[in-house]
Amino acid sequence: MNSEEPVTSRARLLAQVEEAARVIGPLWPLSTFIAVNPLWDLRHMSFHDAVEHAVQVLGIGGYPSPALFAEAYADRRVVGADLRAVLDSHVASGHGASTSTEPEVRPSSKTPRVRTAAERHDDLFGTQIAATVDREVAKWCAAYVTGILPDEPAGGFYAAWCDVVVFDPASRAIAGSAGRKRLAEMGADPEDAILACFELLDVADDERVPELARHLARMPGWAGHAKWRSRWAAAGHRGAALHLVDYLAVRLCYEAVLVRIATSGDLWRRAQEHDRLPGGSKSTNHAAQDDETRPGRRAVGRLPDDVEKRLSRLEATDVARVWLAAYEGHYRDWLLATLERRDGAALGTSRARPEAQAVFCIDVRSEGLRRHLEDSGRYETLGFAGFFALPVRYRGWGAAETVDLCPVLVRPSTEIAERPVTGSRQAGDRQLVGRQAVAAARSAFDSSRKGALSPFILAEASGFFAAPIAVAKTLFPARYQSLRHWARRMLAPPCATVVDADPAAGAMSDEEQALFAEAALTTMGLTRDFASVVLLCGHGSTTENNPYASSLDCGACGGNRGGPSARAAAAILNRQATRHLLAERGIVVPEDTVFVAGEHDTATDTVTVLDAHLVPPGHRDTVVALQSALDRAGAATAAERLSRLPGGDSLGHATLPRGRAADWAQVRPEWGLARNAAFIVAPRTVTAGVDLGCRCFLHSYDAGIDADGVALETILTAPMVVAHWINAQYYFSTVDPDVLSAGDKTAHNIVGGIGVVQGAGGDLRAGLPLQSIFDGDSAYHEPMRLLVVVQAPLSLLDGVVARNPVLRELFDGQWVHLAAREDESDDWKIRQPDGSWERWTPAATRTKEASAHG
Amino acid sequence: MDETWGLTQMTRVEVVVNGEDVAVVTELFSEVGAKGFTAFSNVSGLGHSGLHQGRLLFNERSALTFLTVVLPAERAGALLEGLRDLLEERSGVMLVSDTWVSRPEYFR
Repeated sequence: MNSEEPVTSRARLLAQVEEAARVIGPLWPLSTFIAVNPLWDLRHMSFHDAVEHAVQVLGIGGYPSPALFAEAYADRRVVGADLRAVLDSHVASGHGASTSTEPEVRPSSKTPRVRTAAERHDDLFGTQIAATVDREVAKWCAAYVTGILPDEPAGGFYAAWCDVVVFDPASRAIAGSAGRKRLAEMGADPEDAILACFELLDVADDERVPELARHLARMPGWAGHAKWRSRWAAAGHRGAALHLVDYLAVRLCYEAVLVRIATSGDLWRRAQEHDRLPGGSKSTNHAAQDDETRPGRRAVGRLPDDVEKRLSRLEATDVARVWLAAYEGHYRDWLLATLERRDGAALGTSRARPEAQAVFCIDVRSEGLRRHLEDSGRYETLGFAGFFALPVRYRGWGAAETVDLCPVLVRPSTEIAERPVTGSRQAGDRQLVGRQAVAAARSAFDSSRKGALSPFILAEASGFFAAPIAVAKTLFPARYQSLRHWARRMLAPPCATVVDADPAAGAMSDEEQALFAEAALTTMGLTRDFASVVLLCGHGSTTENNPYASSLDCGACGGNRGGPSARAAAAILNRQATRHLLAERGIVVPEDTVFVAGEHDTATDTVTVLDAHLVPPGHRDTVVALQSALDRAGAATAAERLSRLPGGDSLGHATLPRGRAADWAQVRPEWGLARNAAFIVAPRTVTAGVDLGCRCFLHSYDAGIDADGVALETILTAPMVVAHWINAQYYFSTVDPDVLSAGDKTAHNIVGGIGVVQGAGGDLRAGLPLQSIFDGDSAYHEPMRLLVVVQAPLSLLDGVVARNPVLRELFDGQWVHLAAREDESDDWKIRQPDGSWERWTPAATRTKEASAHG
Repeated sequence: MDETWGLTQMTRVEVVVNGEDVAVVTELFSEVGAKGFTAFSNVSGLGHSGLHQGRLLFNERSALTFLTVVLPAERAGALLEGLRDLLEERSGVMLVSDTWVSRPEYFR
């Protein structure tokens, strides 16, 4: 019996829940999907230890599959020299020998060793209590977030569930009348209920954290949503607040009652009969599902004898680690060798003032566009986080809600709003009336679809229109989209607007604006030699019928389109007050320099110059020429991208990216950030002219104007962390699609606008859809840990790492690899886990074995 | 403490944690019935886990936050137990001291 005061027990429980929740990642709602490292809260461990922990609790594999390595070896994407180089290094040293000699990569175990009380009972007696708990809890979670389960103010999920579970026929079927009543009697509040369940289940104090962790791991989607809601959502975020403690309380109540019943026999048979009914229990534990989404297991081709012999002596997990390191090393060698060769080439840098400068988001999809734009004329490009250093809450013209335009690592400090330009108020009001009419019609249509009888009437009334529309959308998606845009323009005519940066209108003060402007310009290394036009280009992705649309938008803008950020930044940088204060700080922006906003649509590779009405007459010719160059660059980028996109439209025709974006049946409108591999922090001269295959985040940086390392620190602690999250999300979704991907898009059903389930119910799916990472059975994404490449003095870099624990965790723990050099004349060096630097030597050079980049 | 000052003794708990742990710490404060707290974000310092930079321009969750709460001694024990469990596996500092307040009703 617990002798602690109840309040002490509850306080300790909160800490234990927090500790248990480390093993799951937060899951953002679909409207602002954020790619996140699902093991982010385990980063106090090394990458390999964290994976091992996740193997035990989540039941994931953690490393790329043997089939992936077999394919990579067959394609010479990894070669014997790469494996030999890793085996020679410390990575594989000191591990025990295995008795197996088969030259096959062996996967990690997928059966979690940490078990809940229900799972232990299931393991012993062949029951299905854990699956029943999953099914019931998933059902109630979905009912809660969709508003079907009434939520009283300040009540919470647990209280709402207690109110209705006593009337639930399904609960009576599995637990009997007495058991159902008992479910809601475990405690007045969720903490007390969990503690009571621990007593019933005989969970000792030191077993609580693993027990709770495994409960969360059973359904990482719903648990991830609860974690987001508990730890990341803004306090006043609208919608049902499903919190971790409430979620765990409901789970444990079911588990405690059902395990107790199971020991009594008769009632459990009734529950099993219920499970056999149509729509009855199916395990929602992805780890237990059939391994359908994985490519077939293949044997690795013939390895060099010495490599095969050395691998055969290693434990399975170490073999996977060696292959992963070799796979990563091969790409690193290719990238650094390519950049080194670039140093020897004629840079062709002209000191003449460029026609224009264009600042793009660091997103890997910008790389191709930048390359082609530079080829289109005398244009300079830079890379910077797409929120342009402005963490703002944005309110579009007439919008009821705001959006946070910044990385989720920071909270917006101020609100900025869009309004019609002076003299356009009447046009703005007319547009609003049109938008409201469209919204009202859509709302009425949606309500009719969801009513009890109205769908029958709706089908009769609208079938004549809906059927031809569906045919047009299917057969002529691009034309249908154009027609729809035209209709929208007729109903709600566009009006000229501006993002109002005037402090008198509620925007941040002149001083704050200058501070953010200075941070942006200094961090991207643009403090002199300004062109007369500087384009600030955000990005977004226009797709149809795509619940994961926001995953293709700008991560630096919190999963939103980046156009408003670019407009706000341009407005601030064009203000005389900002220019004056910047000059006082030593950054003189010429009077003839104008900042212009734009947006890159990554689904179509078109770039639109925004707020063209704000461009001064003297700069219009330059902007028109720039738009023309962007059109050419976009077309070249689209052609390049087309070669990588599989399949075609819904009828199987090969289509240009623009056609795919408009196709409502297209499950893969673009590849997004798949194959992302590196984050390069350097002047553009280091990468200009090199085809990096849209695989690198490119952040402009000039160590020459960053003596104290503040800019480098900002880059590494914010954009690099975001890039790592994206990289890790792609990695884990690819290596373990069963648990850590969102599964097949074609079977998705949206729940409450917050996530998707596969089929009729079960867990919310966390991670990326299969179509974002796989091409058929083969992984399109190459799962590797992010390689960060920095050009800066090592002492400066070491100082930044030393004073930021998050960077020490990431680099020391090998979550992220780091390569650096002081300048173009220096050799590349690789940071080791102990913080030392080793001169980079390619594996192929070491062994004289030819290697080819895949 | 001079009794003529008319002050009431309380317990002050100060906590320094990563920005991302602030939510659970304040939840603990609330759980034990604390009526309020004060937080200083973006603090710097040197401790067991090394040097911590102060303000990070665009990452509030990795910068340190200093929280201070005052509550009656009888409620402090539960908070300390919760904080002890929380800080067992993550970096952070907890300082406990006696303090005196002039309006005790604000803290009960």
